[in-house]
This record gives sequence, structure tokens and C-alpha cells, in this order.
Amino acid sequence: MVEQVEKRFWERFLKWIKSLAGITVIATVVIALLATFDRGGYVLVNTIVTGGMTALVAMGLTLTLGVLNIPMFAHGEYFMVGSLAAYYVFTPISEYMQTHPDSILAVLGPVITVLAAMLVGALAGVVSEVLVFKQLRQRSRENWVMNSFLLTVGLSVVLINAHQLFFGADFKGITRYFSGMPISIMDVFISRDRALAFLLAVLVVGAFWFFMTYTRTGRAIRAVSQDETGALIVGIGLNGIMMLTMALSCALAAIAGASLLFMYPAYPAMGLEPLYMAWFVVILAGLGNVLGSVMGAFMVALLKVLTVEYIGSGWDFVVPSALIIAILIFRPSGIFGSEVRGVLDK
Amino acid sequence: MDPKNPVNKLLDLLCFTPAGLLALAVLLILPFVPPFNQEYLIRWLISAALIASLSIGFDFTAGLINIVNFGYCAIMGLGGYTSAILAERIGLSPWLGMLAGGVTAAILGLVIGMITLRLRGIFAACLAWFFGLALMGLATKAVWLTRGPLGMRVDRLFETQSNVPYYYLILAIMVAMFIACKWVTRTRMGMAFKAIGQNMEAARTSGINPVFYRVSNFVLSCALAGVLGGFYAHFYGILTPDMMHTSKTVEVLAVAYIGGRGSLWGGAAIAFPFILAMELIRSSLSNLPGLHLVIYGTLLIVVMIYYPGGFAAFFDTYVRKPKNKFVNYFLNGAYGGAK
Repeated sequence: MVEQVEKRFWERFLKWIKSLAGITVIATVVIALLATFDRGGYVLVNTIVTGGMTALVAMGLTLTLGVLNIPMFAHGEYFMVGSLAAYYVFTPISEYMQTHPDSILAVLGPVITVLAAMLVGALAGVVSEVLVFKQLRQRSRENWVMNSFLLTVGLSVVLINAHQLFFGADFKGITRYFSGMPISIMDVFISRDRALAFLLAVLVVGAFWFFMTYTRTGRAIRAVSQDETGALIVGIGLNGIMMLTMALSCALAAIAGASLLFMYPAYPAMGLEPLYMAWFVVILAGLGNVLGSVMGAFMVALLKVLTVEYIGSGWDFVVPSALIIAILIFRPSGIFGSEVRGVLDK
Repeated sequence: MDPKNPVNKLLDLLCFTPAGLLALAVLLILPFVPPFNQEYLIRWLISAALIASLSIGFDFTAGLINIVNFGYCAIMGLGGYTSAILAERIGLSPWLGMLAGGVTAAILGLVIGMITLRLRGIFAACLAWFFGLALMGLATKAVWLTRGPLGMRVDRLFETQSNVPYYYLILAIMVAMFIACKWVTRTRMGMAFKAIGQNMEAARTSGINPVFYRVSNFVLSCALAGVLGGFYAHFYGILTPDMMHTSKTVEVLAVAYIGGRGSLWGGAAIAFPFILAMELIRSSLSNLPGLHLVIYGTLLIVVMIYYPGGFAAFFDTYVRKPKNKFVNYFLNGAYGGAK
């Protein structure tokens, strides 16, 4: 019995290896290792940290696309909201820490910050769902994908400039969350912030996966993403699910923004970069494919890190987009394929 | 009012209603009317006219075949850079340079169209956006050619200091673009565009090849953007990669959609009061940076929710159906429809 299961597992594994998804994942790992041997460990560290956070943003994007059918253009702005909230929560904490260096806040402060940013992000998501998307949904569902896309464009403009209007256009950043010596693994020094950012990403992705797979609410969300009418028939409250989805996906982006505050200070237009990275991922991995978007995030992050490393900074606009366009010519539905093709057809 | 009257035939040929003609006449004399005869106001008018023309070209794809070309300003930038580089390196006249900009933009449009328009709606928009990002990155990094973020100096088109000739030139370009787009929509091809925009499956079933029509629509709209890019380069006299930024496309997109999708004239009509008001807010409330863009975005959201048809639909439903015959003629022309 066990042998049979093992054999079937191996067969499936070999089949997966031979598929496009398997080939790309293995190629990514190999390229990442080669680059690490060539240029040193920080390539790998950068890839992993950026990839983890891109995965959070991309998962949120996938979620809004799959469940609400909204091609979110304002997702980077929730990233911005998260980092802004984190800045305003963490600055007083770090000032307090300077006078009381031994307080418990040294450990709890960043946790409180990320949690607060998550709450603010979720709140922003709920507010935009209630004020914007729900209004349109009640009025007309005709040509929904395009109309909601334009709504998100307007939302993005409003959020960016409201930031500039109320908080100013300067860079609001912190130097670090955790003080102390960087961790050293095999001669590579990783600052505590980076290591913890990656751990946080793993934690959140895991929790999210668990939530989507094993809880009733998560299954309800997936049901809505597969078939809205069907979900209604079996008694799932659409309004609640949509609001929850929006809150979740915005909170994911806000967590990413908050935990990367030490790398990217908050400023009005900061959302564009995570946004297009997330869109790269979503299009590369296939729309609505949550697990695929996690793997795709690491690929895109690797692509970006390698471009900056070997070709020079600034080219990271050019090379990844060119490669992704090239991939899409041959494989329009993305590398991992997608369960919700319906979104594309609208 | 007689449909056989030659004036009416001419108007119909030019796709203008008497109301549209009146609006155009107002625009023509505007640089001589007191508050508008100052140079900075004329500059605002020119930028409004530029946005108006861009929104016509943008609406030609977005409104008719329902594909948002999210890299529109990047394509305009390509036209501008082509024209500027040709003028600098081989001394090509700016007039020919503008045309050359149109041609390169059209070629790029063909390439993008061939790749992206096999995909559907939002995918095509995203890919056009990626192309735009890539183009902007190229313009930033190819310093030997474009001088990158430092900005590339370009000779201006006319040798006067005054901005009035530019104003008339951009108005002429705008009207020509409008008429060209309108003519295309009247042909069989235009019918096909509309059919594809409304229901692609039905259009495909009736024997329309969607890829061909979408690509040709895309190419035309990109060519127009390229010509406008040439104008941009030779009017402002300096080109930076910033002009290709996504936020510029968003500006055009907002004007086009607030004006009314699929109408072609709506965006052009709304651009003038809209851009002037925005510039006014920006310059008079300079201690509140970003306020005008907040209004911009809010307006776009409100229009999309409450009035997806935009200004043109509002105009068609409430203003365009007067009881009086003369007013009706004034608003709709002898044949009905058109600008």
C-alpha cells in the first residue's frame, strides 16, 4: 500500500518535472544557484526576500482577480498604505526605544507595526470595496472587467495623490526594525530584518494557504471564484465574501509594504514597482492560480535581481518585461495554467 | 436644414454638426480673447489640445474595440524620440520627423498588436503596459541616444517665441485626427470595429476576423500617437523619459473616459475645460500639491460608477433631443449624429 502510494507519487512527480511548470521551476533554482556561486550569496538572499514579498502582493492580486474579477491596478497603493501606516506606527515606538532601550517593545514593536499595517490595509480594502466597487456592482455588471479596471485606475490616482496631499512627497523611511548584529550563514551576512521579512512571508503564505484550503470561509471564497451563481445557490453570502476577499488581499499587500519599510521608504508613487512585479507574476503564472503565483514571484524576483546584478540597475524595467512578453507569445495562458479562464474571456 | 444643401453635405463629410463647428470656432478665436491671450494660458490651451488629440486616438481603440492601450503615452514618446533623434542626427525637417514618428509608432503598434491582440481584453492591456514600461526603461538607459533622464534638447518647430502658431497647428492636427477617425468608423472597417467591441463572439460568427481588425485599429491609433509625439517634442523643446510614464497614460485615459467612450468627440470636448480647470487648481493652490490629481481620480471614479457613458452619453440623452427644429439642427446637423 505504502509502496503503491510512493510509486504514484513518483510518477506524478516525474510527470510534473517534464511539464513546462516543472522545467521552469527547476531552471529557476539552477540559475539561482549558479548566480550565487558566481556572485556570492547575497544574490540568493535578495531573491528570496524580494520573492517572498512579491508573492504576498501577487497573491492578493490573484485573489481579487479570481474572486471579484477585478484586474486591480491600485494594488501597489495598498502596499504604499501599509508602509505608510508602518512608518507612523513605528516612529513613535523607536523614539520610545531610544530612551528605554531594554523595554519589551524591542521585540514586540515590529510585530505591532506589521499588525497595525495589516489592519489599516484591510480597512482600506473594505472602504474601497464599499465606496467604489460595490457601488458599481449594484448598478451594472455589464462589461464589468473593463469598468472595474478603470475604477482601480482612478483609485490609484486618488490614493497616490492623497498621500502627497496629506503626508507630503518626501521619503518616510526607517533604518531598521531590529537592531543587533546581522546573522551570518556561510559567510553571507543577512540583516535580521531581511531574515525576519522572509520568515514572515513564509508564515503568511502558509497561513493563507491553510485558510484557503481547510476552513469553511476559505472554501467559500474558492467556490465564488469558480462559479458565482453556483456559490449563491449553495447559500454563500456573496457580499460578505467579496468584502472579506478585498480586505484579505489588501491586507496581504499592506503586510508586504510594512515589512519592507526598511528597504523601501514610503513615498507617494512607491506602489508602481510592486504593482508591475505582481502583474508580471500573475500573468506569468496564470490568472487565479495562487500556488503558481508564489512560485512565479520567486522567478520574477530572480529575474529582477539578476538583471540588476549583471546588466545594471534601471534595466529591470526592460529585461523582465521583454522576457515575459517572449514567454507569453508561446504560452498565452501562463506557465502554470489557470483554473479561472473565465476572467480572460470577459 | 435641407439635407441636400451643399453646406450640409460638406458638414457631413467633415463629420461636424453646427454645434461642433461653433465650438471649433470658439477655440480658434480663443487666443485673442483677453484672459486667454497671455502666453501661459496659451500654453495651457496647447497642452489641453494635445490631451484632447491623444484622447481621440486613445478612444479609437478603447471605445471601439474595447481594448485599453495602457502604453499609449510610451508610444507617443517613441514617436517624439524618433522625430527628435532624426532631426538631431541627420537634420531631418521636423515636419517629416513627425511623420517618421508616426511611422515608427505604427510599426511598433503592429508588433505589439500582433503579439497582444491574440489575447483578450485585460491581458492585451497588461501587455501593452509592459511594452510601455520597457520602452520607458529603454529611453532612460540608452543614454548615448536619448541622453536619458537628463532630457534631450530638440529644436522647436517655429522660430517665433510666440506659442500661437503651435496652438493652431495642434488644433489642425486634432481636427484632422478627428475627421480621419470618424471616416474610418463610417466604413465597413468601422462597423467591424464596433461589432468586435460589442460582442466578439458574435462578430467572429458573422465572419469578421478579429485579429486583423484589432491589429489595424491598433496600428492606426499608434500612428496618431506617434505624430502627436513628434509635435510634443518640437513644441516643448525637451524630451525626458518621464513623458512615457504610466501616469501620463492615466491622464489621457481619464479624459477619454470622462468624455465618453466610443464617441471620439467627447474626450476632445471635455479636455479643454477640464485641463484648464486642473491647471488653474494646480497653479492657484500650489500649497496643496496633488489636489488636482485627487479631483481627477475622484471624478474618474464617480463618472465610471454613475455615468459609464461619460459626458457624451449625458449629452446624447439630455441635451440632444430638443423639441425645437432649429436647435435640433444646430445640435445634430441635417443627418443626425456626428460631432
